[in-house]
Amino acid sequence: MNIVQLVIDDKPISAPEGTNVFHAAMNNGIYIPGLCYHPKLSQFGGCRLCFVEITERKRTGHRFACAHPVSEGMVVKVNTPRVVRYRKSVMEYLLAHHELSCPTCDKSGECGLQNITYELNLAPGRFRTVRMHYPVIRDNPVLELNRNRCVLCGRCVSTCKEIEGLSAIDFQNRGFKTVVGTAFDRPLECSFCGGCVAVCPTGAWQDRTLGFRGRAWEFTSTPTICPYCSVGCTVVVDTKAGNVRRIVSNDRLGINEGNLCVKGRFGHEFIHSPERLKTPLIRRNGEFSPATWNDALDYVSKRFQEIIQKYGGTSIGGIGSERCTNEDNYLFQKFCRAVLGTNVIDNISNMKSPYLNRLIYQSVVNGIATPFLRELEQANTLFFFGADVTEAHPVIGSMARKAIRLNNANLVIANVRDVQFNSNAKNDVRLFYTLGSQIILINALMKVIIEEGLVDEKKAEAATNHFHELCSALNMVTVSEASQQTGVPEETIRNAARILAKPGRCHIICGKDIEEDPSGEVAVKALLNLCALLNILGNNEDKRASVLFSRSHNNSQGVNDMGVVPEFLPGYLDLNDASHRERVKKIWGRKLPEHVVKEDSVNVIDLMLNGKVKALYVIGENPVMTYPYGKDVREACKKLDFLVVQDAFLTETAQMADVVLPTAIFAEKEGTFTNMGMTVQRLNRALQPAGEARQDWEILCELAKKMGYSFSYLSVKEVLQEIGSLSPIYAGIQYDRLKRKEFRWISSFYDKNPRAPYTFEIIRPPSAAIVKRKDFPYLLLTGASLNHHGSFSRHAKALIAIAPECFVEISRKVAQDAGILNGDTVTIESLQNKIKLKVKVTDRIPEGIVFIPEDYEWVPVNLLRNKIYTPVKIYKETE
Amino acid sequence: MILPLLKGLALTLRRFLNPKTCATELYPEERPKLSTRFRGLPELQIGKDGREKCVACGLCAKVCPSQCISIEGAEDETHRRYPKTYELDAFRCIFCGFCEEACPVRAIILRDTFELATYEKKDVFDKEKLLDLTRKRNLPR
Ligand code: SF4
Ligand code: SF4
Ligand code: SF4
Ligand code: SF4
Ligand code: SF4
Repeated sequence: MNIVQLVIDDKPISAPEGTNVFHAAMNNGIYIPGLCYHPKLSQFGGCRLCFVEITERKRTGHRFACAHPVSEGMVVKVNTPRVVRYRKSVMEYLLAHHELSCPTCDKSGECGLQNITYELNLAPGRFRTVRMHYPVIRDNPVLELNRNRCVLCGRCVSTCKEIEGLSAIDFQNRGFKTVVGTAFDRPLECSFCGGCVAVCPTGAWQDRTLGFRGRAWEFTSTPTICPYCSVGCTVVVDTKAGNVRRIVSNDRLGINEGNLCVKGRFGHEFIHSPERLKTPLIRRNGEFSPATWNDALDYVSKRFQEIIQKYGGTSIGGIGSERCTNEDNYLFQKFCRAVLGTNVIDNISNMKSPYLNRLIYQSVVNGIATPFLRELEQANTLFFFGADVTEAHPVIGSMARKAIRLNNANLVIANVRDVQFNSNAKNDVRLFYTLGSQIILINALMKVIIEEGLVDEKKAEAATNHFHELCSALNMVTVSEASQQTGVPEETIRNAARILAKPGRCHIICGKDIEEDPSGEVAVKALLNLCALLNILGNNEDKRASVLFSRSHNNSQGVNDMGVVPEFLPGYLDLNDASHRERVKKIWGRKLPEHVVKEDSVNVIDLMLNGKVKALYVIGENPVMTYPYGKDVREACKKLDFLVVQDAFLTETAQMADVVLPTAIFAEKEGTFTNMGMTVQRLNRALQPAGEARQDWEILCELAKKMGYSFSYLSVKEVLQEIGSLSPIYAGIQYDRLKRKEFRWISSFYDKNPRAPYTFEIIRPPSAAIVKRKDFPYLLLTGASLNHHGSFSRHAKALIAIAPECFVEISRKVAQDAGILNGDTVTIESLQNKIKLKVKVTDRIPEGIVFIPEDYEWVPVNLLRNKIYTPVKIYKETE
Repeated sequence: MILPLLKGLALTLRRFLNPKTCATELYPEERPKLSTRFRGLPELQIGKDGREKCVACGLCAKVCPSQCISIEGAEDETHRRYPKTYELDAFRCIFCGFCEEACPVRAIILRDTFELATYEKKDVFDKEKLLDLTRKRNLPR
């Protein structure tokens, strides 16, 4: 890219060719007024305020800065008298039909229109004022549109189209009557990402969760990390009088460019929910009664010690949290291993797919893991495999759309369902495979790539191992057979393979459908094979493919990094390796007990079921509802002698507990989260914890002290330092530096280790695990939901208002056969159990499948499931 | 030089000894005559609908140099913006009148209430008290 030199307002600056003058000025700290230009959106040129004087090739003229590209030797003047006069008259026109209700407008104080009026020192205008009297639209729980305040800048329209891919709103009418609105003025039905509120320069769009509860200048803004999904967006928490009033985004902070989803932006009301736990609870004679911290911790330590004496340390289990910080989780595993002397620790994500950590780490070692989420924005090809990004990781969807918009990226989506992903990709290939045939599909894609001679064999030999074995194994695959088995037309498979093989960067996003499938391990390995194969394609030198693994919660990656799993110490160090145990001994100052070793097939819940584990310590997790097999976990919890739950709400698990310890939530905490792109980001504390709640790490320190082991940390900074010295992947991390810049552990890993050559593993699809049953004709598929996630969203009023009820999706055909209409309540019955849900009839799902989102935590979907594909039947109950 | 001084003293003495003029103002027996520009305690005004005029814009709180106003805005059923709480710490108020000047809807006016002594240390004026001042004025006499 060429760099050109130009002068703006006497300041010499350089900018890459193709930038517009507005952007170049903005990047160099020169202010040009404007309402419609936004750096993350395409240029619109509607407000006419960025009028500047430009001298180019010896000619002086007036141009609009946002619509004029920079050129060599250009001289720009931003504030000549003529320019200012023009700008003032534009503003006069705008204000002549503006509502000017600043005193009651929540935008006041951060309003673009107000600011420019003030800067230009405008007096009452020359024009007759014409006020518009459109009614304010409040047809949804979170957004309000007051079109009398709109200046028709088009930012909201572009955001909705380009970032969110929805085009839920657009301009209506013409001329003076132009307004922003939905098609046919129907109630707004969109993803409620709130992007329109964030970009609107005026108070036309409003966040209704704020509800006049504060003014822009009264807030204390604290940037921190979203507590919901694993994208790890930076959210800015605005507080007033120790109370969260709203959450906003900041385009310049974090990895998300100011894009958030509905949960991140509007799902904050749980913070001050009256249902928050405020004091520790101890169960006495079957009833919870409030207790002091001292009593509660004394009781817990006494009971733990009794159990250790009676049955040994290994009879206590621990479940770490996908929502707590790295520091909390690190101390939790340290507490369990060193103080309790047990290795029966785990976290829900690892229980769902116990192979994933190993494979992800392997992909990092081989250099085929996506090192940073925002690299998706540079992609040339995107391949979503079993991933429903729109529902599960909405902001990843926005990043993908950016790649499609700016780089013309190709899109391939493979899924069982017709997942929604709107973009204007030129190549948009969708592969709808039948459930369970994903491995066949991946093999077929590889087969096409090899068959069509796209791979350079010499390069393949040099860069990888076992390439020939792979080829000979794939010889047995034929694409047409695969096409039959997967239900994807042969031509589509070939087409997809050719698109994947195109030069440029290819990012594969491996979704939950693959990771948590019964054949997940094999499928992930197959996907790694495909990725490695794409990396050795023949003639294109610039080909780079990498895989990104979906994680579900905000710190699902971190909890595994911190070693809250039975096989690894923090940083994926093998627990049984003597040198690692030595290292731990040096840093912890205490030898790991002999019986803290990795054993085969330890699952906390199974051990509880067969009575080996008598007590369980759960932090920030609700396994009763989130563990995949509901029946097991409920029985297991009932068998326990002693259950301690540490959480912010009285979840279903906490209700069964003997002691409940109240904890702080994200806005009340310090610490770090690691997102699914292995980026470690720091939280900032915006509030004091509710009631007597404490941060998890503080509780753990206190409890360790009571049990005679000193955890002498004064702050999370010291904990993070210890993590850095123990775990090689976090080596070099510094808490203070995280304030300015996030830490990407994959990048730092590559700085220290060379990428290992990939070894192909021959993958044969396992024989069909799906048993068709006549009496239970459909298969149950569960997945993510946009509006809910974890145990926080159910306490957020706005999210409940948007999505009050869980539903089951069935195809039109199934609905017809069973005489079910959209909105009916039906019973879904499996061999294990049955539940009742509302029906959503859709065309997006194949016939043999019913889909239930599993993120409505209050709905016990896990009761239905068994350990392989769950056959279900569905019927309307006649009363 | 001595003479004017004596003259002055004589006047003072005359006034002082005359029972009619020895007291300038018979407060509290007599209400003082306040100038129309007198600035007493800020009072919240009542609109035609019988409710507070204030729209909780927060400008008075922002402009107040002694930071004695705190407002919590809220939305009522008709989506009108109103102050859910409006507190004015009269102990801190310096009667500068900035709030009155800042108010876009003339909802706060400094009138002639100046007797603010109380027995309670924490006798902050809340919204109802401030409105009461105006309500009392509106009572038919
Ligand atoms: S949009 Fe801006 S100028 Fe218009 S009423 Fe609101 S604050 Fe005032
Ligand atoms: S609603 Fe806001 S963002 Fe949308 S066009 Fe109007 S002023 Fe611009
Ligand atoms: S839920 Fe995920 S995508 Fe949404 S704002 Fe939070 S981190 Fe971002
Ligand atoms: S008179 Fe002055 S000090 Fe008193 S409330 Fe008003 S602005 Fe504040
Ligand atoms: S300035 Fe007036 S309207 Fe605004 S908060 Fe103060 S009293 Fe209310």
